[in-house]
Amino acid sequence: MTEYAPDDGLLVLNNLRKEFGGLTAVDDLSFVVEEGEILGFIGPNGAGKSTTFNCVTGAYEPTSGTVHYHGEDVTGEPAYEMVKRGMARTFQSFRPLDDRSVLRNVELALAPDRLFSLSGLRGKTTDRARELCERVGLGDRIHQTPDELPHAGLLRLELGRALATDPDLLLVDEPFAGLSSGEVAELSDLLTDLRDEGITLVVVDHNMRGLLSLIDRAIVIQFGAKIAEGTPEEIRNDETVQEAYLGGDEI
Amino acid sequence: MSDTLTSKLNPLSLPLRQQLGLIALVLLAFTPFWMGFLYAGDQGLLHIRTITIALFIGMFAMSWDSVSGYTGQISFGHALFFAIGGYGSALLNLGWGVPPLAAVVLGTVLAAVAGLLIGVPALRLEGPYLSLVTLVAPLILLQVFIWRSDIFGGELGIPNPDPLVATSGFAQETYVFFYVAFALFVLILAVLLAVTRSDAGSVLTAIREDEDAVAASGLNPAKFKTFAFVLSASVGGLAGAVFVHTPMASPTPSQLLAQTVSIEVIIAAVLGGMGTIVGAALGGMFLSIFRSQLSNVDFVVPGLGVSVGDLDLVIFAVGTLIILFALPGGVLRWGIVAGRKLVGSDGAAADGGRTPVEQTLEKFREFFRGGRDD
Repeated sequence: MTEYAPDDGLLVLNNLRKEFGGLTAVDDLSFVVEEGEILGFIGPNGAGKSTTFNCVTGAYEPTSGTVHYHGEDVTGEPAYEMVKRGMARTFQSFRPLDDRSVLRNVELALAPDRLFSLSGLRGKTTDRARELCERVGLGDRIHQTPDELPHAGLLRLELGRALATDPDLLLVDEPFAGLSSGEVAELSDLLTDLRDEGITLVVVDHNMRGLLSLIDRAIVIQFGAKIAEGTPEEIRNDETVQEAYLGGDEI
Repeated sequence: MSDTLTSKLNPLSLPLRQQLGLIALVLLAFTPFWMGFLYAGDQGLLHIRTITIALFIGMFAMSWDSVSGYTGQISFGHALFFAIGGYGSALLNLGWGVPPLAAVVLGTVLAAVAGLLIGVPALRLEGPYLSLVTLVAPLILLQVFIWRSDIFGGELGIPNPDPLVATSGFAQETYVFFYVAFALFVLILAVLLAVTRSDAGSVLTAIREDEDAVAASGLNPAKFKTFAFVLSASVGGLAGAVFVHTPMASPTPSQLLAQTVSIEVIIAAVLGGMGTIVGAALGGMFLSIFRSQLSNVDFVVPGLGVSVGDLDLVIFAVGTLIILFALPGGVLRWGIVAGRKLVGSDGAAADGGRTPVEQTLEKFREFFRGGRDD
């Protein structure tokens, strides 16, 4: 079994395993995310993508295996700690704070993790939050509450909140689900821009169609294990992948 | 937007509702004067004492609101902290001769330590563990008080410790302790308003809404919950400690520790407006004053043979249920929205989402259903 060294990439997983009772959701998965790339993390529904995600971002404790980030062992670190280390995520089922405006949602992610702070009183946080809202295309909706936003707007809000934590690595969970093709193109542009600004991205999706044109490299998993890895071209022509997706005409 | 500290502290640039609040506070400060005009002699003094007690119940309700109203972690046993502060301070004074002021400080510290002991283990977990623990803890303490009646006086409590300030005569005593209570009320109000209106306050309400979203924002929910809980325990302990050093209360279970005390505080905060501090203070004061007025009513309910005064808790509980259905945000929130409509400024933008009561219920529902599916 290949073992990656902790500093082989920005994020390094070695033999990550997650079991729920008798069910193995993630089966000794190892892979590397290189700094500055857009990595597609692909697999059919139920392949263990979100579980892998949750183990990396601290929502679940992995059963075994290690996660290294920036060369440091971060296995089992809590979610807020991973965010502080520079790893942000978006939720597949959006998790906005419905009790406050878009602007205040983003502001929360700018608040320091300290009990006593006067930073909110100087108005700088608000300016920064407004910039971030404009960055993700919500500039004209900052005073609306999340329940007034369309589906694509909620995704933008998830991205805005993630960006507010100033990440080096951004994990985007199933962003294209439920978007129109125009919205997919807009979002792809936004993600590419973010990469050009120096953020490494991992985009999870079960649908390769929108994804393959965006990503530099992909990892395909099935039943919690890696079945393929390579450039979009290699993935498209991989037989195992075609089989996993029922005969290949899916792709 | 000039969200600067100075503009927030200048009374003239405050929103109308806050100006009204300040005026109410000033009116409250002059209670002994206008009571003197309204009622002659001892009647006025008795009313001032009623308001003094009400101020303490308002402080108790604020202390509950600062943790449960803001984070949605419901404490069912906040009387525990009032009792630890009150009994702790009284016993230090009676048993070891600690001067009242120092005893109050130590009683507050004891309550804070109790808050840490309960909060740290119970709040690390997501879910209503805190509610379960706080439901049981005061019952245990009451059993200890009964078991060691030689120290804690059992159901009857212990004698009054030395008063915080030495006074002579009924009138002077009434005035002095009114201002002791008022000063403490303003202090607690100011501290809790400052905390809940700061960044930390917005983290607390975010925890009430969605703890995972808070963690995804890089904030440690357990830290903020524990902070709010310990702050709340200290405030409750402080109020309890000062309360027993006034002639208006003594360290007895029925005043500081009984389950009904915890429940009354919750009723008061929900009635006034959960998660607002000001609403809790108003609710607590209203409940206390209304209750003492009710006990003066001799009317006997026909058929039951019980006087109205003995039914106070029933009346409040029913009233709260009605309010929960009609105004789930509490009276204060309703008042602010109604006031805005009256003045003509549209507050619709700030009206999104659910009320704290609904958010808290959702938390419980999620827990017992087995969590969110993600």
